[in-house]
Amino acid sequence: MRARGVTKTFASGRQEVWALRGVDLDVRAGEFLALVGPSGSGKTTLLNLIGALDVPTAGELLVLGRPIAALSKHERAHLRLQSLGFVFQAYNLVPVLTARENVEFVLELQGAGLDRRARAQEVLAELGLADLTDRRINELSGGQQQRVAVARAVAARPAIVLADEPTANLDGENAETLMHLMRDLRDRHGMTFIFSTHDPRVVAHAVRIVTLVDGRVARDERTGGEPPHTILPAATVQAVGA
Amino acid sequence: MVSTRYAARSVGRNLRRTVLSIVGVAIGCLLALFMESLNRGRGELFARAGSASGLGHVRVVPAGWRGRRDPRLRLADWRADLAAAQAMSGVASVTARARAQVLLAVGTHVVPVELTGVQPDIEPRTFRYVQTIGRGRYLRADDGGALVAGRAIADRLSADLDDEIVATTVGPGGEIQSALFRLVGIVSTGSDDTDLAVCQVVLEDLQRLTGFAGAGEVSIVLNDYREIDRVRARLAGSVAAADEVMTLSELAPDIEGHFKQDAAMTRFVSGIILLIVLLGVASAQLAAVLERRREFAVLAALGMNGPRMVWLIVQEALMLGGGGAVLAVAAGVPLVWKLARSGLDFSRYLGGTYAFQGVLFDPVIYGDFGWWIVVYVSAVAMGATILASLYPAWYAARTDPAVALRVAQ
Ligand SMILES: Nc1ncnc2c1ncn2[C@@H]1O[C@H](COP(=O)(O)OP(=O)(O)OP(=O)(O)O)[C@@H](O)[C@H]1O
Ligand SMILES: [Mg+2]
Repeated sequence: MRARGVTKTFASGRQEVWALRGVDLDVRAGEFLALVGPSGSGKTTLLNLIGALDVPTAGELLVLGRPIAALSKHERAHLRLQSLGFVFQAYNLVPVLTARENVEFVLELQGAGLDRRARAQEVLAELGLADLTDRRINELSGGQQQRVAVARAVAARPAIVLADEPTANLDGENAETLMHLMRDLRDRHGMTFIFSTHDPRVVAHAVRIVTLVDGRVARDERTGGEPPHTILPAATVQAVGA
Repeated sequence: MVSTRYAARSVGRNLRRTVLSIVGVAIGCLLALFMESLNRGRGELFARAGSASGLGHVRVVPAGWRGRRDPRLRLADWRADLAAAQAMSGVASVTARARAQVLLAVGTHVVPVELTGVQPDIEPRTFRYVQTIGRGRYLRADDGGALVAGRAIADRLSADLDDEIVATTVGPGGEIQSALFRLVGIVSTGSDDTDLAVCQVVLEDLQRLTGFAGAGEVSIVLNDYREIDRVRARLAGSVAAADEVMTLSELAPDIEGHFKQDAAMTRFVSGIILLIVLLGVASAQLAAVLERRREFAVLAALGMNGPRMVWLIVQEALMLGGGGAVLAVAAGVPLVWKLARSGLDFSRYLGGTYAFQGVLFDPVIYGDFGWWIVVYVSAVAMGATILASLYPAWYAARTDPAVALRVAQ
């Protein structure tokens, strides 16, 4: 993924709101990247652009080699379906379907063959949900639901998984588990993970931390090697938590 | 398919709304079905009246009669036409008649009538009114000089049974011709209008009175009125070359038109009812879609495209429609069965019998019962719900994931 001078404005009444003011960013395959920054700094907006949910107002944005601004609505939907995975803050699963059906549904949309049921089962097992596959969503805890959401996002083996504050509704323990699982998936399948967060415990798992302030990249740092429990300097955590 | 399971469970999600929608669809279908059954029954009523009134289901007429309806025209070869009609399959009865404009006189009372010469042994089977003889008796085959008239005619003539009546008409060369008849029977149909159309003598007497040989029509009643067009087509090839075959609708175009107009009216009312049901279902479905706005936003974000979204909603509509159809068929089959067996008696609203253009109609209309009920109800229920779902489906398909996710969060 490659962004150059990406700008996004919204018309809010007669006013123009600048959500992004020229973002330059390169993300290579297999990265595990946290987007941090104060509220309103443009994290969700940037994720929506990378996720082809929206198009930039100006600048160049290539995702998997495709120029997002030039794609039609239909082409963007196709790109999302085939190559991108999403995890949302509030789990956003289909409540009338079971855990497995939620995962299977996305595979069905993709046009996967008859092995989709087995594949859904396998992915859920990978996320430690083997025993809960036939449960309805409302019979699952928040942490379990978010793991199903991750299963749904990765089932089709997308190149990039985007997660907007995936742990915001989870307690510390569940957040830890989720981050471990996401790291695991990335290590095993080489998917790229880009997630936004306010949570210092989550940031601690990131391999690369990009800080947005006022719609610009204010800081871009790597946490050195890739131990899963890198301890960040206190200053960073403070800045992020603010 | 998960998507079908998804649609089914979504329909089950708000059970109360779903049940109300299904009941609404079922009631709409049931009303439309009831009217459609009666509409189809009208054709049968018309055919029944036609077979009883002497019009016949099919009739052989002389060339040129169709336009002028001149009673003095005669068939080219009435015996050949009669034989051809009798040889036809599916024919219940066949009779020949001749007609003439005649003045009847008793003392100082004079009444103009259309006098019909008939074959007395067959006539009551094709002209049921003469079965209801009020006083006296009907004609016999060897009944030279006997006349049967409707009550309204007898009253105007102040004639009673066994009175002598003078009949006067114009012969082929313009000469005035008369004959003397004896009133042997008085027919009461219950309608003055229809009574005035009943005035009969045996065919040979009419030939003698008018000086015109032969017959003016061969009237045919079928076992099954739905065979009318088939019999007409086949008969047209076997009657005398100069003669022509007409159907009931052609013989009584005004009545046919009247029935068609009635049918169009009831279909229009059915259409309005279904439109109301459709709007109800559309609003219920739209409410369901609005409730799930966030769900659709998520699905759109995952890459579910517009057509798939539309298909999901249409599937849900099909389930509502299917439920409505099952309910409507379950309730409609016994209802229409009853309507077909016992009929709908509208004599109360008409105050007795109903005559139109000299044709007496039974005040009972029978609904039509058949397999078409299932096809009709399914088509109407599915059609209405699919139409109703189009706007909600379009609305769901239009969900912009970026906006909807933000708004909902
Ligand atoms: N659809 C929109 N219409 C108008 N303004 C918008 C729209 N989307 C975003 N904005 C504005 O753009 C700016 C960036 O918003 P964004 O949601 O990207 O921030 P964020 O970093 O995700 O914040 P948070 O941490 O609170 O989730 C904000 O000022 C927001 O009000
Ligand atoms: Mg945000």
